Amino acid sequence: MSILEAKEISKVYTVDHRNITVLNQVSLKVEVGEFVVITGSSGSGKTTLLTLISGLDQPSSGQVFIDQQNITGASEDDLAPFRNSIIGFVFQSYHLVPSMTALENIMFPAELLGDPNAAQKARQLLKRLGLEERADNLPSQLSGGEKQRISLCRAMINQPKLLFADEPTGNLDSENGKKMLSQLVELKTEQGATLILVTHNPEIAQASDRVLTLKDGRLSE
Amino acid sequence: MIHTHFIIRQLSRSSKQAVVFILCIILSLSTLTAFTGFSKSVNRSLLDDAKKLHAADIIIRTYDKMSDGLEKAVAEQVRLGRVELARFYEFNSVVRAPDKQKSLLSRLKVVEKGYPFYGEVVLLSGLSFHDVLTPGHVVVEKTLLDRLGLSVGDPIKVGFTTLTIGDVVLSEPDRPMNFFSFGPRVFISSQDLNALGLLQTGSRIRTVYLLKSKDDAQTDALTNLFKQAAIRGQERVNTYQTAGSRIKRFLDNFIFFLKLVGIFILIIAGVGIHGTLTAFLKEKEQTIAIMKTIGATNRHITLHFMLIVFLLSLIGTVMGILVGTVLQRGLAGLLADFLPPDLRLSIVWSGVFENIVIGFSVVAMFTFIPLYRLREMRPVMILREETPRSAKRWPLYASGAMFALFFFGLVFWHMQDFRFGLYFVAGVGGLILITYLCTHLMLWILKGWKSRQLVVRQAIKGLFRQGGATKTIIITLTASLSVIFSIYLIEKNLDATFIRSYPEGAPNMIILDIQPSQKEAFTQMLDQKVRFYPLIRARILAINGETIKHDSERRRRRDNLSRVFNLTYQNSLLEYEKIIKGKGLFRKDWTEPQVSILDIVGDMRKMGIGDTIRFKIQGVPLEARISSIRTRIKESLTPFFYFVLQEKTLGAAPQTVFSTLRMENDKIGPLQTKIVNRFPNISVIDVSSAVQVFGRLLKRLSKIIRGFSILSMAAGVLILISAVFATRAQRITESVYYKILGAKKTFVFRVFTLENIFIGLLSGFLALIVSQVVAFLVCRSVFEIPYHLYLTSCLLMIGATLLLIITIGVISTKSILERKPITYLREQPDG
Repeated sequence: MSILEAKEISKVYTVDHRNITVLNQVSLKVEVGEFVVITGSSGSGKTTLLTLISGLDQPSSGQVFIDQQNITGASEDDLAPFRNSIIGFVFQSYHLVPSMTALENIMFPAELLGDPNAAQKARQLLKRLGLEERADNLPSQLSGGEKQRISLCRAMINQPKLLFADEPTGNLDSENGKKMLSQLVELKTEQGATLILVTHNPEIAQASDRVLTLKDGRLSE
Repeated sequence: MIHTHFIIRQLSRSSKQAVVFILCIILSLSTLTAFTGFSKSVNRSLLDDAKKLHAADIIIRTYDKMSDGLEKAVAEQVRLGRVELARFYEFNSVVRAPDKQKSLLSRLKVVEKGYPFYGEVVLLSGLSFHDVLTPGHVVVEKTLLDRLGLSVGDPIKVGFTTLTIGDVVLSEPDRPMNFFSFGPRVFISSQDLNALGLLQTGSRIRTVYLLKSKDDAQTDALTNLFKQAAIRGQERVNTYQTAGSRIKRFLDNFIFFLKLVGIFILIIAGVGIHGTLTAFLKEKEQTIAIMKTIGATNRHITLHFMLIVFLLSLIGTVMGILVGTVLQRGLAGLLADFLPPDLRLSIVWSGVFENIVIGFSVVAMFTFIPLYRLREMRPVMILREETPRSAKRWPLYASGAMFALFFFGLVFWHMQDFRFGLYFVAGVGGLILITYLCTHLMLWILKGWKSRQLVVRQAIKGLFRQGGATKTIIITLTASLSVIFSIYLIEKNLDATFIRSYPEGAPNMIILDIQPSQKEAFTQMLDQKVRFYPLIRARILAINGETIKHDSERRRRRDNLSRVFNLTYQNSLLEYEKIIKGKGLFRKDWTEPQVSILDIVGDMRKMGIGDTIRFKIQGVPLEARISSIRTRIKESLTPFFYFVLQEKTLGAAPQTVFSTLRMENDKIGPLQTKIVNRFPNISVIDVSSAVQVFGRLLKRLSKIIRGFSILSMAAGVLILISAVFATRAQRITESVYYKILGAKKTFVFRVFTLENIFIGLLSGFLALIVSQVVAFLVCRSVFEIPYHLYLTSCLLMIGATLLLIITIGVISTKSILERKPITYLREQPDG
């Protein structure tokens, strides 16, 4: 059973009255529990594809289905519950709320869901990743590796079915990168989630179930 | 679910932005709060202390002789013991120092025993007023003693008699001592009235009957009784609660202008509120995008930011009202000389409530769009720069319409004058629109400028930094500066034309109350050709058969038809006049009485050739047909009349005569004394000196208005500060990149400073152009006076503005300049 399906999606940007096609009729299907890596050279449109299939952005044409539901053209408010409980995100630049502590950042999605055990769950995740002492630190007081692990905790707190990761190790050194990746895969497996990861790191690609390559706006396996 | 931590964190992380936002709210509310609070407080105090301020329960006023019917009605009630009566007569006359050959135009108040029934006349000696003001004595204001070189106990000539100065008056209940008048106060006992010999036919004497009711419950019934006996339009009967006063009219008019300034500041500060909130939310874009990415709904986000705005607004509103209350006290201090001595100012809670409503309405109005735009921020913004685009335009139009309605409503609520309100709204709207278009054009020109200087190129780029709010800053600063410059330029031009250089050739002496029988002797005494103008006092009863409604006429802010008019008769046009309608001043083919009217009468009621005006002259009705309409071709200080009739119509009417003279300044005093020594009933007004006094008053009031207008500039400054905060991250990045590429700190400093110089110069010069045009139009079209540019003063003001903006810019970017590249790089990517 597929958790994600994209049908002939395209993305065209208009810059100075010129149309630039970044993705051209891309289709893909991801099964439940899969670990899929999307790779490609810089500027090939990997991140754009990720934003479209995760519902962060809308395609110029084509359709996207998540958990059998068509999210194309859905309003931000319709997508909010998806993002909150079905999808989890890990970004290269972490994107933690700068004004909130590590614990608060992790708790936030669970609190949005109205989960009374948000704090407890967040603390468990922090402990799991060895960050319990950093709970009350602001993002600016954390190292890159720590920030990324906090961002992973935040992504996993609502036990999403689908996890999107955009170059999650891109800003980390090799040791931290490896640690981060193993924790990501571990949590994904533990929670039975599906992982779609964008990277140009061939080592990560080797660890995946399937590698999709993006070139000239088209996807190939 | 309300996420309290989130709200607190957002506020604490952006405390500087929050403070600027609060300051904008304080600014928007404090001035209007001060002005409305002051107005309400004064009105309430005037009402609370009305008995004292009018010195009686019932007040009857007339500029004519009291009619027999009313006289009888009052006498009857006095006889029955229901009321006590104290009369006073007020008029101008020249008083003289018998031995020193000095004279001075003074405001005489001849009072009967009993005055004042309420309040008191405070004397320097501390003695009781009527113990001192016995027949043969006067009580005078100190300035009279100073100017005539007299002391208490000295004799003084008033009219045809000589009296002794008994004391110095410090305050009287029904008039502030420093209220504008042609001369100092002189109190005289009514028993000396006949001896003065000043009550001549046609003299402008204000007769006031003060009545003290024995039974408060009967006051209204007695008032109605006297009203029925009074001649409408000629005699005004009021209780202490309904009687208006010159003080109230002056304060109403002055506060009216202050309220205009208050509303203008409110709007400019409203733009500030919009600007600072936009900047605040710009800083939160990443946070909002992250929240959306992890599943927060628009409702959730909007609700939280609305709560943040509400919290800040609450603080701002409370503080705005507090600051407004302090300003209100300050305003009372500034206007102390014009307020009644015993006036007690207090907080009027209905006013406070009104201001809270206005405060929240303003905040709601100006924060709606930035908050609405939160919906348009998409989560993808965390991955790439994107300007939120409005999908739906109707909320923008709806908020625009709401704002326009609110603005119109507010203006009309405060102005109570539809036409003036419309002019004001159109004026402010036009000013902002013109400023917007000019700013747009100037920035477009700057954008296209390819300077060879790197610093200049970078500074220009900085003006177009996202979130920089350059346009908003320039518009608010320009609008504020335009108002300040315009007030300054108009005041300077008025001052130059009328006050500093009294118009050459214009008469500087007005000789009043000449009796027709004195004309010949007066001419002989002066030994020069003198033009006399007969003066017949009259009221208008009806126009084209339609009776004048005195009550509604009196409510008009501008001139009205219910007052007393001075008619004259002439056979030819006066100086600087021409006929714009009609064949000649009068028609030869008409046999009935004719009247030529001045075009400005048309502002009070539309009238045309052939229409009829029914006058009442000393109780006698006279209907005249309009034969021509005149206009003045030049504003000058020469006499003019609204209504000119023929000699055959008015020649026999009770009249006085007045004349005007042009004299060298040093000859005015001796001539005044000479005239009054020979003709004690004649009053001489030294116009140039009166104009000087008036000029000082005008300057003082203009300074207060200008002082408050400067506050509107603060809105522009606050937006500038908030824009620096909002673009802080971008500025840091630019600064670090400049430094990494080898630029020195001075280079970065020069770029940021030049940016502010551009803002200051654009605002200053746009304001200069707008204000010169506005002031030119006002001076030439309204006042019809020559116009001077006063460029040096304007350039100095622009210099001061520039200095202010540069200083604020330097202070707010200081910490950015100090940032070391390595600190920044270590923090990247942030979050």
